[in-house]
Amino acid sequence: MFAASLDALQPRRRGVVVALLGCAAATAVALALAFGAMSIAIADLLDGEGLQRTVFGQIRAPRVVLAGLVGGVLAISGATLQGVFRNPLADPGLIGVSSGAALGATTLIVLGPALTDALGVLSFALPLPSIDAVPFAVPLAAMVGAMLATLFLYAFSSRYGQFSIVTILLVGIAVNALASVGIGAFQYLSDDDQLRTLTFWMMGSFGSASWPTVIPAALLMALAATPLLLACRELDLLQLGEAEAFHLGVDVKRLKRRAILCSAAAVGAGVALAGMIGFVGLVVPHLVRLLIGATHRYVLPSALLLGATLTILADLAARTLVTPAELPVGLVTSALGAPFFLWLIARARPR
Amino acid sequence: MTLRAQSVTLRLGTAQVLKEVSLEVTVGAVTALVGPNGAGKSSLLRVLSGEIALPGVSMDGKPLAEMAIRDLARRRSVMTQSASMAFDFLVAEVLAMGWVDATREECAAALEERAAALEERTAALEERTAALEAVACDCLVDHLLDRRFNTLSGGERQRVQFARCWLQIWRREKSGSQAPSRYLLLDEPTANLDLAHELLVLRLARRASAANVGVLIVLHDLSQAARFADRIALLDNGAMVATGPPEAVLTNATLSRVYRTPLCVEHSPSLGRLVVHAQ
Repeated sequence: MFAASLDALQPRRRGVVVALLGCAAATAVALALAFGAMSIAIADLLDGEGLQRTVFGQIRAPRVVLAGLVGGVLAISGATLQGVFRNPLADPGLIGVSSGAALGATTLIVLGPALTDALGVLSFALPLPSIDAVPFAVPLAAMVGAMLATLFLYAFSSRYGQFSIVTILLVGIAVNALASVGIGAFQYLSDDDQLRTLTFWMMGSFGSASWPTVIPAALLMALAATPLLLACRELDLLQLGEAEAFHLGVDVKRLKRRAILCSAAAVGAGVALAGMIGFVGLVVPHLVRLLIGATHRYVLPSALLLGATLTILADLAARTLVTPAELPVGLVTSALGAPFFLWLIARARPR
Repeated sequence: MTLRAQSVTLRLGTAQVLKEVSLEVTVGAVTALVGPNGAGKSSLLRVLSGEIALPGVSMDGKPLAEMAIRDLARRRSVMTQSASMAFDFLVAEVLAMGWVDATREECAAALEERAAALEERTAALEERTAALEAVACDCLVDHLLDRRFNTLSGGERQRVQFARCWLQIWRREKSGSQAPSRYLLLDEPTANLDLAHELLVLRLARRASAANVGVLIVLHDLSQAARFADRIALLDNGAMVATGPPEAVLTNATLSRVYRTPLCVEHSPSLGRLVVHAQ
């Protein structure tokens, strides 16, 4: 769809591009660790148990790690879904995974106090902490939402023994619509405090990152992203068409199932911790294809690196531009991503 | 050594697409599948390729349903009528997709070797990676290898797809060993081609059959079918009307009835073969 300037691009040069993207990611990590609301010198880190050391180790480092992971995972899931749907507009948001996660989190934030009361009655008025204050509760609810949306999508689109891409896209639209009905209803029901929490979560932020939440999410994301990286040749063959891929020895049904479930799990884990972060999954794969062509063997690792780089930098901007306050990072990525996407469409040559 | 469909019946929704159809694709011969639009030619091809799994289809006596998808891919390739790809692949990459036996690393190595050869301007054909280059030259697409697939014309794309299918079952000549049979199924491979390239593709199909490949071609041009096929299978309305050598199948009465148009079959003494034209 989008004409690229990759004429006569040779494999050797692509290796160089991937290596450069790796260097860019490393630089972004270094920058993001070095700058922030509090200025931290290396000397502060080396000696003492001071505040600087705590901020660096317990707040800034997990935040950078989370930003990199979520960005990388969103980008690689976007690239995979675009490959599976053979549609350059596919995105984790498009098939309803992100809104499923959002609905899960919203449900817990708004209904949390009521649920606590209900449980309180059941436990004979023993003092319980509020459910929405329990660590992991909101992320877990978001992941449950993402998984339910994916299962719904999967059950619906493979209903008649077929697994057609058009059905998935249409069901995805329906899932999105249903989820936004739910989110809207909960926003209407919520009180002022809850509405504020909801709004911030919907705009996305890495501010809540801490090692106890980042490490399990990181493991899950790595587990989910690995099969995607391994499927690169099959994804290439799928670009010829589903029948053609079958003729070339690809178990198309298994490939689609694996790709969709793994991207949903990865994105669900990411959205669960960081909220809605728009356009990374859509724009980064396009950028990568402009740089190195369409072969997934290069596109997937490059998307991982570039997605991580851009998200880390966006988060750096979000937390340093308006210090001591903070911008929601989802605003930053969308503010940068949407105009870029329009530019992509404008320069697309009609075929 | 045949790819065989034995009284296959296919129903899609309420439509009876194939009724008790039997067809054999024999190794070392070209079989042409002809018939009017909607006769069920492409459906029969999809059944023979295993894409539509039906009982009664077998390769060398082994039911297709029992064969692994990957093993099947090593033994038969299929050229469909698909046209474009969603993303910008280079022609060389599209060709390399036909390389089912090669691992990812081998494909990458072959492409890199090729790139290196281009860089060093050692243009000698023999020194470049053998299969991909040879097949590309055979199919007259070697000058397109560095182009983007989606910028090609319809006919060029079709030649690239044909080359990819040929590459899929391409094998280095091995002496002595008894290699398993191979099949090439082509769905209207000449649809967008000019006369010269149409002849090229049909000659290559003949050459494939000479290399002990079973070839099945869906064709509309009955004169070309008479010229290039050893056997012709005539399908009408989901049923097999006749199978056999061209002289037996292509007769005035049969063709006029099947195509619902008065058709005339003549033996041209100057060409030395059958020619079919409308009256």
